[in-house]
Amino acid sequence: MKISVRQICFILIFYTAASKLLLYPTMLSGYSGRDLLFSALINFVVQGIVIWAVAYLSSKTDKTLFELLKDTFGEIPARIIFGFFAAFFIVCTIIPLFEQKLYVHAIFYDTVPTVLVFLPIFIFTIYAGSKSFKNIGCCADVCMPIFLISMAFIFFMSFTEVDFSNLLPVLKTPASKVFGGSMKTALNFLEPAYLLMFLGHFRYKKGDAAKMTLSYAAGAAIVLLFLAVFYGIYGELTYSRQFAISKTSLYFSAIDVIGRIDLYTLYALEVVMLFALVLNIQLAVQCLIKCTGWDCPEILSVAVNAVLATILLTCNHFFTALQSFFANWLWIVVVIFAVIAPLSAWALKRRER
Amino acid sequence: MKPAHRAKLRRFSVIFFWVLFIALAVMFFTNDFGIVDIHKTSIIVAIGIDSTENEVQVTAQLAVPKPSQSGDNIEYTEVQGSGETVADALNEINAKTGFYPQLQFCKLVLLGDSCKDKNIFRLMGCLYRKNYSELTALVAMCDGKASEILSMPTVTSDMTTTVIQRALADELEKSANVSSANLKDIALSNFSRSKACYMPFIEANVQGTSEEGGNGDNVGGDEPQSGGSSGGGDSSGSGGGSSSGEGGGEGGSEGGSGSSSSGSGSSGGEQKPVEFTARKTAIFNNGKFAGILNEQQAFALNILEYDIHLAVLPCDTSEYHYTIGLGKSKSAIDVKIVDGIPEVTLKFSAYGQVVGIKKPVEPKETTKDDKLSPEIIEAANKTVEERFASLMDISRQTDCDFLGIKESIFKYHHRYFEGLEEDALQKMRVKYKVDVKSRN
Repeated sequence: MKISVRQICFILIFYTAASKLLLYPTMLSGYSGRDLLFSALINFVVQGIVIWAVAYLSSKTDKTLFELLKDTFGEIPARIIFGFFAAFFIVCTIIPLFEQKLYVHAIFYDTVPTVLVFLPIFIFTIYAGSKSFKNIGCCADVCMPIFLISMAFIFFMSFTEVDFSNLLPVLKTPASKVFGGSMKTALNFLEPAYLLMFLGHFRYKKGDAAKMTLSYAAGAAIVLLFLAVFYGIYGELTYSRQFAISKTSLYFSAIDVIGRIDLYTLYALEVVMLFALVLNIQLAVQCLIKCTGWDCPEILSVAVNAVLATILLTCNHFFTALQSFFANWLWIVVVIFAVIAPLSAWALKRRER
Repeated sequence: MKPAHRAKLRRFSVIFFWVLFIALAVMFFTNDFGIVDIHKTSIIVAIGIDSTENEVQVTAQLAVPKPSQSGDNIEYTEVQGSGETVADALNEINAKTGFYPQLQFCKLVLLGDSCKDKNIFRLMGCLYRKNYSELTALVAMCDGKASEILSMPTVTSDMTTTVIQRALADELEKSANVSSANLKDIALSNFSRSKACYMPFIEANVQGTSEEGGNGDNVGGDEPQSGGSSGGGDSSGSGGGSSSGEGGGEGGSEGGSGSSSSGSGSSGGEQKPVEFTARKTAIFNNGKFAGILNEQQAFALNILEYDIHLAVLPCDTSEYHYTIGLGKSKSAIDVKIVDGIPEVTLKFSAYGQVVGIKKPVEPKETTKDDKLSPEIIEAANKTVEERFASLMDISRQTDCDFLGIKESIFKYHHRYFEGLEEDALQKMRVKYKVDVKSRN
């Protein structure tokens, strides 16, 4: 077994939250306005159900997803499906990668907005991308205290400025916009696909499905609280405030006296956000190993990162168009790979435990 | 892949990462990745916005770091730019200063009184649009031209911005002496249903002077003489010690290229040092200037909006004039809808103690200062109620919803909002619940 249930739970709590703290709140408020919590809740409930389904499936079989697919459809179709999953994870890394680039430029290097400053990130992603499931689990262990402490500080520094009445009146936004908001931000909800990849790589014990689902609920609660805080601070301005996590603590009174102490927590959270981002690359590489049968993660990691770097360099000035395209169309891909595929796994041939 | 090849690859990866690490280290220590050298730049710490007929004129106060052995290593200077919008003007300033065109370090936005005729939401929109600047910058309106205020010499600091910020400080907010507002407050009111906002109104007084009268509320002094506007241009000559731009800045009205001037703000020559007060409050309705709250009205607004630690309230009983110190306050603006009519209750409670009486102090009686007599409590309650009433009167008269009554109706009584959107302030009934209690 390569990853423990505890580590999966950490991933479901902390990576779920960390991957939704930059542009997601801004985008969501743009679509759903003050009812952004309901849009987010729709996604979390749907994904929570799928996560429970996948977690419960792991109680029924010891096989990995690849083995299930191979036993059901044969090796070649299984490889093709894993090829699609690899493409899915690569595609889902594009927007978070751009988010990170823009965030680093805007917050940490606001006077030097060059792409060259950001490119060294690929040294990290190539290295981390070549690592196995065991490494993914260890990263989650490392991220747990970092995330908890940093997020506690961010909330502490933010609460003085929050006016939760900004969220009132509730449910006055047209339902089409609330559901539209859920749909267009679906690209941020990949957790069931992660869990599907972990299938067969951990030892299931009684009650683990509930633990995983509750972990996801805890991650969702952190995100929902953060959304409420962010909207509580900025109200109708939320849509114009990018990189939400860096904006909520600005009004903490001590910042006027001793400077941007919140940057320490933002640096720490950046570490967790990077690990959350690199999880997509790690899973893409693992899928490619299965797809190609070539057990050479180092070279495959270089290849995946080369694709991402090329996209980053060529689309450097088209982020808004890219984001709009992804929001309008890529939700279909998410529905296929993070909802339908995990649920369909129940239909695969499995050996009963 | 064969195990031998795999081992080779692993070894190659290690070498590859070491090479990369060394390359990055070399880049870092040779060029700092091109990070801006702080000694070669200048940072906008405050901007003043004045308005001419067709243009806006922006005066930026810049902090210019200088290498120095003495410890006094920052120089402050003003640079002007003008254009159709604030962004145009800032672009001109950025072209002159070479600084990256964002206002991340700007802590103060000062509006000159020439902006009274303009829509401030339009003027300031560019500051809260997207991430142009952080929304923490304090906003205030000043008596006179913002460019002149920013270049006035002060005694306590070389940096006028710092002195103005002190006049708007949190501590003063806690004593109900100033109505603080930042860019976020202005931007939120732009998008609110009330469409009204307020900001402190800054006045410059000659240092060491104080206005007489005012029943304990006046903080003011002699007005400074307008100095240094030698350019003579009524549209843009920079005040204070700044050297005026070519032709006094008259050219600013053409083509947006605008007038410009730059120079040290502290070389003001004959002008006397000033101090700033901000006890009055400017109010805006739909972005347009609607009036100025006097000290008493501003006090009423402040005790409603902020947590008061120690506010000073002058009041008169039949015998003496008392100054009451108020603390541990609680306040609220409750809006209910009764029979389709808004009913607004202004609630205020605080603990008070005597901090001054207009009679000679008798040591025996000072021990009773924490215990307010019913007569003093009644006088204090009456004074606060009068101030609230005066505040509500000006809100009605100007139809300026700076207390956010319409926003409250929208949030808490949504179904009535449409019917009351236009005339909520005229229809509303107002009640006051003031409860000043004795500290002991």
